[in-house]
Amino acid sequence: MSPIQLNRRQLLRAAATAGGAALLAGCSTPGDKTTGGATTAATLAYWDWYVSQAPWVQNEIKLFQKAHSGIAIKKTTQVTDKYPDLMALAVRSGTAPDVFLLPKAPKLEDQVSQGWLTPLDKWATPAWQARFPEGSFVEGVNVFDGKIYSAPFSALAPSLQLYIHHGVFKEAGLVNPDGTVFVPKTWDDITRAAEAIATKSGGKVFGLGFGNAQKGALPWLIELFCRGAGSPGGTQSVDYRTGKWTYGTDRNYADFLTLLLDWKKRNFIYPSSMSISDEQARAYFAKGRFGMIVGGVWNQPAWEEGGFTDYSLVTLPSPTGTPQAFFYGFPGGYLGAISAKAKHPDDAWAWLDWFYSKEAGKRWVEGGYGLSIYPDNNDPAAVTSPTFKQYVAMAGTAINGPVPAIRNPDIAKVEVAPAQPDIPDVAAGIYTGQLKDVPKALKELEDRLNDALSTAVAKAKGQGLKVSMADYAFADWDPAKPYTTKRG
Amino acid sequence: MADTELVLLGSRRARQGRRSPLRRRIAGARWSYVYVLPMLVLLAAFVVYPIIASLGYTFYRWDGIGDPTEFVGLDNFLKVMKDFIFWKALRNTFLYVVIVVPLQLVIALALALVLNNPRLRLRNLYRTLFFLPVVTSAAVIAVVVQLLFSNFGDVVNDVLMSLGITNTYIDWLGDPTFAMIIIMGVGVWHTLGYNLVYFLAGLQTIPGELYEAAKLDGAGAIASFRYITVPMLRSVGVVILLLSIIGSFQIFDLVQVLTNGGPYFATEVVNTYIYHLAFGGASSTAVQPDVGLASAASFFYGLLLIVFAVVQAVFLRTLVSRRGGRA
Repeated sequence: MSPIQLNRRQLLRAAATAGGAALLAGCSTPGDKTTGGATTAATLAYWDWYVSQAPWVQNEIKLFQKAHSGIAIKKTTQVTDKYPDLMALAVRSGTAPDVFLLPKAPKLEDQVSQGWLTPLDKWATPAWQARFPEGSFVEGVNVFDGKIYSAPFSALAPSLQLYIHHGVFKEAGLVNPDGTVFVPKTWDDITRAAEAIATKSGGKVFGLGFGNAQKGALPWLIELFCRGAGSPGGTQSVDYRTGKWTYGTDRNYADFLTLLLDWKKRNFIYPSSMSISDEQARAYFAKGRFGMIVGGVWNQPAWEEGGFTDYSLVTLPSPTGTPQAFFYGFPGGYLGAISAKAKHPDDAWAWLDWFYSKEAGKRWVEGGYGLSIYPDNNDPAAVTSPTFKQYVAMAGTAINGPVPAIRNPDIAKVEVAPAQPDIPDVAAGIYTGQLKDVPKALKELEDRLNDALSTAVAKAKGQGLKVSMADYAFADWDPAKPYTTKRG
Repeated sequence: MADTELVLLGSRRARQGRRSPLRRRIAGARWSYVYVLPMLVLLAAFVVYPIIASLGYTFYRWDGIGDPTEFVGLDNFLKVMKDFIFWKALRNTFLYVVIVVPLQLVIALALALVLNNPRLRLRNLYRTLFFLPVVTSAAVIAVVVQLLFSNFGDVVNDVLMSLGITNTYIDWLGDPTFAMIIIMGVGVWHTLGYNLVYFLAGLQTIPGELYEAAKLDGAGAIASFRYITVPMLRSVGVVILLLSIIGSFQIFDLVQVLTNGGPYFATEVVNTYIYHLAFGGASSTAVQPDVGLASAASFFYGLLLIVFAVVQAVFLRTLVSRRGGRA
């Protein structure tokens, strides 16, 4: 067999042919499957950030495709913290998916004003809206200029919990007289439990662990512990009683961070917590590397799938054992939407409608992924998993809170510039000892955030909007009770 | 009049005469120009044009979507200049360069001297082994190192503690000091192969007779290195130094994957700082991307680097001319 020999011209020709073929292949649209010139199926591009929840989505896609033989769904799951960037780039390049979970940034109002989304009114008839609980469609939340763009998917529920590893607790002797595992409810309980775990294991097992590589876990700890102590803004919003950020003036934040540093100093905290990811931390917790971790309900399906069910959960641990503030939601809510550039809008609606159906919501709850917007689906009796039952039973720790944009819709148009460094960075700076003066660091953070807010309000005023800092204050709000925001 | 015409004609011919060889040379080397053209076009499209285009963005607050409309003048530059994170990132970048470059060059030179020894068996294998990290993507290396430390960091800690070297657990990539040391260590290892190959090429240009003559004159290995190798390598060495400095200033992917600039900006370098400004994602909270601010930071950093490069070039030229070498 003689070797193949090409002269320069032949080589160039061959390369050009191969390149051209590759280019043509790359430019073809996978969505339009044609057979003999006739389109047989519409392929919808669908984007989400669901990792733990992927089995539910895949099952729904399977069921949907079975019921709609002419529609195929191509799912793409993007990494959480890059989702807003990827979505913005996709919209800009004209390759936005037909149906997608709405990114946190830009604000929904801006996504609407920039023409990202299709209004759903054509399909979301009053009859369709009626299947949702009352007050699910709110102007300024998921309705803009009278047009519906999305709908709520989940019922109010606690965002974060403290998970307790039964095996580790039992090894450390943390059991009640009746033999059940001791569940800590106060900050002191947690300190004592962590101390017992560290001492009994000879320092091999740690009391608490977290995975802060994505910079989110430390703020979760602050959020959970400080809300329990009575700071209703947590790390998410201003304290609506005063309309201001209170990281420096509300001593709960400094108290908790001081306690956290004390736990670190006493080797109660898993030492690699700052560099491992949340996913790794969850796996280490399941393996019993540490006894407690803060996380959301999304942890539970993956643990249970992996055969780890020996744990309990508690939310809002507080200094006294009785939470002084809760998790606050708002009427309305949004999750999925249809792109303004969707090629097959009716088919896209069919998928969105399926996604929001009562049956899909029921399977969501049964799978232990969270609570459904439909109250009938959230019957604890229908839940088989004992750990998910605990979560469902804690639903009362999430209540409606004030919503400035309902009282004054113009507030939704105020664009607050991000303050840098924000709480994830400041918390990391304090935890790693780079910010030594905790109260000073928190006060500076508070001032930065309040300055950013007042600057944004002043700018909005300058643009003719009727807004003021008072729009963020709700003097009549009692954080212990559900609040109904009156329209202005 | 006729004289004038003759003079003009003569000067025109002289000009044509001067041009013709150039044209002939261009025509003669037309294939070379054709081969260079695609690279020039790509360079213009993906390097020169973005640099010029981004200058306009520096005057806007712009999230990268749609057209920039919010004109802010020089505010972006002022913001960058007042931002302590930028100065911290700049300090970290220079620290990285100041530590990694000399360390890498010394190790590369030492290895090159060893691997240049014709009596060394399997020297081609060693050369390949040392060059291997270069062909691996920095991002992939960073992922592997991240996994190594997160999965086996405890094992390392246990060994160190049992040996009595440390008395507490260390969070290798979560501790401000150790994270930077690890980034530098990986940085040295990753691009060591380049400098090794450059030095080897430089060493192979030194005539063997010089060493033989020195040996006859009674010079030992150290004297030969000092009086033959170092002076003969000076010209190549300056180029290697410059390339190494430029390469180190481009540090991005290692930091982005290993630490994302954290904890609390302890490992933030200017390139990751610019990336975080342009695309957000520096924190778990949704940070609004600001391409205008990122462009301003890039330009400001570029200006600082130009000043630094000029100072460096003047210094190196002085150094080389004093020693009688050529840069």
